[in-house]
Amino acid sequence: MATEARILKPGGTAPRTIGRSLLLTLPIALWSLLMFANPQRHSNRSLQIASLITAVFMIALFFMMMRTTSTYRWRRWFFVALGILFPVGFIHTVIMMRGTMGIPIEEMIAGRTPFCYLPIPLLILPAAFTKTLVFPGSILPGGGMSGAGMAAMAGLWLAITLVIGKGWCSYACFFGGIEEGMASVPARAKLRKIDPRWRYGPWAVLLAMVLLSLALFEPAYCLWLCPFKAVSEYVAARSTVGMVQNGIFAVLFAGLVIALPLLTKKRTQCAFFCPFGAFQSIFNKTSVFDVKIDRARCSPCVLCKTACPTFSLTDESIARGETLMSCMKCGACVDACVKNAIVWHIKGTEVACKPERARLMFLYAAWGMAVMFGGSIIAEGLATILHVFV
Amino acid sequence: MASCGPVVVPSLLAERAGLRRNTRYLSTFLGARFLGYLLFAAVAWELGALISLPLAPRIILIGVVHVLLGGVLLWYAYSAGHACAPSCSGSELVSLGVTKKRGVAGAAALGFLTGLSLCPPFVAAGVRAAELGSVAAALLFFAVFFVGTSVWFVPFVSLGCVARNSAVTTVARMAMVLIALYYGCLGLTMLLGSKLYGY
Repeated sequence: MATEARILKPGGTAPRTIGRSLLLTLPIALWSLLMFANPQRHSNRSLQIASLITAVFMIALFFMMMRTTSTYRWRRWFFVALGILFPVGFIHTVIMMRGTMGIPIEEMIAGRTPFCYLPIPLLILPAAFTKTLVFPGSILPGGGMSGAGMAAMAGLWLAITLVIGKGWCSYACFFGGIEEGMASVPARAKLRKIDPRWRYGPWAVLLAMVLLSLALFEPAYCLWLCPFKAVSEYVAARSTVGMVQNGIFAVLFAGLVIALPLLTKKRTQCAFFCPFGAFQSIFNKTSVFDVKIDRARCSPCVLCKTACPTFSLTDESIARGETLMSCMKCGACVDACVKNAIVWHIKGTEVACKPERARLMFLYAAWGMAVMFGGSIIAEGLATILHVFV
Repeated sequence: MASCGPVVVPSLLAERAGLRRNTRYLSTFLGARFLGYLLFAAVAWELGALISLPLAPRIILIGVVHVLLGGVLLWYAYSAGHACAPSCSGSELVSLGVTKKRGVAGAAALGFLTGLSLCPPFVAAGVRAAELGSVAAALLFFAVFFVGTSVWFVPFVSLGCVARNSAVTTVARMAMVLIALYYGCLGLTMLLGSKLYGY
């Protein structure tokens, strides 16, 4: 009984039986094994072991989601692992490739810059007006890893986005995990009074960066504001401008990804800064999945509002029975609600109509993508660490 | 249009002003930009060509313009929050269309400084002006250059339609701060690099 209580979410829904949970996990288990447990695919022994560990990890987390009907706390393990292991694998790769984390201008011109999805919204206007892709890198054949990487990344992003909307930011983004990990460290938030207008920050960064990218014909966010340059690849500083840019990356990373999440228990970079997140919010309108509040059950205790890591619930939105468009579908509010009033929902259906079925359908889509996209990154990062020992 | 976009778009959105006031704002902005162009044309012709200046003074010039532009944008973003009604004691920089006195300073300052900032087509035009036979021809060349590039600003007037929402104006003010910091930081970095390394 005590064990049962421990694995339940606060709302108190009874756990599924182990057999039923295993049955529901079976599709994800098969998908994970197909992705990772194929020894023929990897000649590298450390990658074989890392892949196997990743497969077991992803299957176990999904099983626990099925067993406990709780989403957020299990997803968080995956997301933090993704956030920590991405830099490990990435830094190892770039150092193997070029011997440094700094990108020299020649590498950019030669198109040997791995494509990142964050500047996708910033490239749209320059591309529309001039048919020019201002991301450093070539899309021409033989343009290094950018050509295939760019097409694959953009295609993958579009397909996933159309289905799960801003769920991308909770199940695919390989940057958000570090701050989510930091936010989960303190027991209580030390900084609680935050002006709600900071929620507009990502839109402001998006507007400023789109305009500057168009004006300067360079990916302004990548060159000036991306906090994750501090843990991926920075500008090879050969001038005062390069030094200042790297200083900005370090300060933003320390502030938005480390210090503020520790103080607020929120994903502050995602909530207040990320321009890609703002752009992604638009696609919450195309996604068939959302999170709704059953007004009949809700007593406005605002536990959900406190739990939301991105300030996507306000008193007004709770009164309307919905989240803001910035909702990342992480499931924190659903897990926090003691009355089961917040539910996963499929657009076009009644709010309280089989919410667990809606959750399952969302999770199959989101976790299937997480296994394929995030799982590969976790396996790479693990393999890099294992390589030291194996 | 692309070069002036980071200055014009957020400042128009931050005004929460509507079509008529946006038209006035844009007219003032373009008028001051025209003055900046004429000044540049005269200087370009007089000096032979600004781009024939040695690298260090040119960088200092661009750096100073960037710092000034960043400062005015920052002040504008701060003041825009106070320009809520005709009775508000907002800064003169945002009082265009709100108070009658000294109401054009903000748009004029931004227009003039963007008129002086050396975007690539502008430098190319400067070279052409420097090659002309007389200062009058250089001024005429820049006047035509101004008319040709100003056409692209006309659609910006319609931004007044979306700037009636407080969320939009807040986003615009925040964006202005970011753009101001970008210009200020870039300008200071150029001045610092010029001082330390001579480029």
